[in-house]
Amino acid sequence: MTIRTRLTFWFAAVLTASLLVMSVGTFIEISEQLRHFHRHSPDEGAVEETSEMIFEAGLPAVLLGLLGGWWLVRRALAPVTDLTKAIEKIHDRNLSERLPHSGNGDELDRLTDVFNAMTARLDGSFQHIREFTLHASHELKTPLTILRGELETALHDEQSSATQKERLASQIDEIERLAKIVDGLTLLTKADAGQITLKCESVRLDELVRESFADAKILAQPQRIEVRLDRCDETTVTGDRHRLRQLLLNLADNAVKYNRPGGTVNFSLLRDGTTAALQISNSGAGLAPEVQARVFERFFRGDASHNNAVEGCGLGLSIAQWIVLAHAGKIFFTSEPDELTTVSVQLPLK
Amino acid sequence: MRVLVVEDEKKTASFVRKALESEGFAVDVCPRGDEALAAAITTPFDGIVLDIMLPGRDGLSVLRQLRAQGNRTPVLLLSARGEVNERVEGLNAGADDYLPKPFVIAELVARVRALGRRGSESKATVLRVADLTLDTISHRAQRGGKVFELTAREFRLLEFLMRSAGRISGRMSIIEKVWDYDFDPGTNLVDVYVKRLREKIDDGFEPKLLQTVRGVGYVMKDAP
Repeated sequence: MTIRTRLTFWFAAVLTASLLVMSVGTFIEISEQLRHFHRHSPDEGAVEETSEMIFEAGLPAVLLGLLGGWWLVRRALAPVTDLTKAIEKIHDRNLSERLPHSGNGDELDRLTDVFNAMTARLDGSFQHIREFTLHASHELKTPLTILRGELETALHDEQSSATQKERLASQIDEIERLAKIVDGLTLLTKADAGQITLKCESVRLDELVRESFADAKILAQPQRIEVRLDRCDETTVTGDRHRLRQLLLNLADNAVKYNRPGGTVNFSLLRDGTTAALQISNSGAGLAPEVQARVFERFFRGDASHNNAVEGCGLGLSIAQWIVLAHAGKIFFTSEPDELTTVSVQLPLK
Repeated sequence: MRVLVVEDEKKTASFVRKALESEGFAVDVCPRGDEALAAAITTPFDGIVLDIMLPGRDGLSVLRQLRAQGNRTPVLLLSARGEVNERVEGLNAGADDYLPKPFVIAELVARVRALGRRGSESKATVLRVADLTLDTISHRAQRGGKVFELTAREFRLLEFLMRSAGRISGRMSIIEKVWDYDFDPGTNLVDVYVKRLREKIDDGFEPKLLQTVRGVGYVMKDAP
């Protein structure tokens, strides 16, 4: 039961009770007066008339009071409702926004103040974490640059033996991987902080899909995976060309990586009313239902035993999800174990 | 060719200097932004390798100041941040090229050399390395009397490698110039394409022209 209903009931009860006391008092007083006036012949009719009068006037008064009470409580609680709506809209990305004051200087304004102070503290903590990650990524780049540079110098040293060179090259590969992780982290942290602005323009999505389809065909060759383009409607969206290409290549690469030798990858792009619907499905081990939503988590690896051989920085799908969300779209996986796994991307049309 | 390297990190500055010197460049190193600006104004360098994060004055501000004074010395920006927006910002500020850290030294050297050649790139329509020729108008490659069909991407890759024949091309350059990607796609796309291209132009021929430089990139050259 809401506070409003409860208060209205209580108010009605108090109103009725006070009316009752008033009526009883009035009734006794009037009867006394009448008895005194008529002495030995009390006029029963007059008493009845009085109670009728009280009843007829009292009932509407109670009802009016009830309505008035309900309206008053509603009015008093309206700022609470507004506050609730405003608070509901707060999430980790808009912590810097402040709830508006009613300006009455009442208890609710005080509550708003306290709440605003709390979000400000939270905002501060979040910013600290982001800055920390950005600084950490930046600080990591310097030793990585030195390591890479010195290993490369050693790699080209005439005195290094073939075994040493092999080892050095393998270390350079790992440094590249580390650098990719650091790059991915920097990108996502900046995206979290809203520091990346998309360069939006009209983009022919079908052309980008054809391009990533061509790249996927090449990527799939060593594993003899068959890549098909089932359908590719002419589709124009508003978006950041580079980011959309990154998204498509990312998903195409995933579809090839998490496949089986001799498997398939299918692309399709449909223009459907107000959305562009892209689907990339691949054969392979598939994703368990409990894993499907978690694949977008940073550094999430599904079944580790399946993916040991798969290289990558563990941030590809997090980045893909960010790109889709930044374009006001949706991305999700559907999968049947050992059958097809499909990633669907829906983007609003221009 | 005289180059100014502006980098505050001693070890990085040291291997960059060594690599450039071993390729025949005269190298000056400066660890501060404000000093670098003064040096660049008074000394006519052929190129500047400029880090962004610097004590004294940051690289972008040094670059803007130089350009504001009408100094057109070619500048290669280095940045630890490696973010798309920053690359665009750097190029807008007047940089001629941009390389994110950590970088491949051979790639840095190749780009510094390219700074000197800016604007004087070969306009030849038929490219030639040993007995391999590429007609950039008909998009046809030919070697030992055999004609190869190339996809659009393969053509661009081969053209890029042949135009920079004899010089190492890092993966980053290839991705930028052939795919026009502003980001590292994190795939082995380049390697797979190079492998396919090699099957066409090198299989059954001697010498092998498209060579891998482990940990660095690729180079197209006549001699092994």
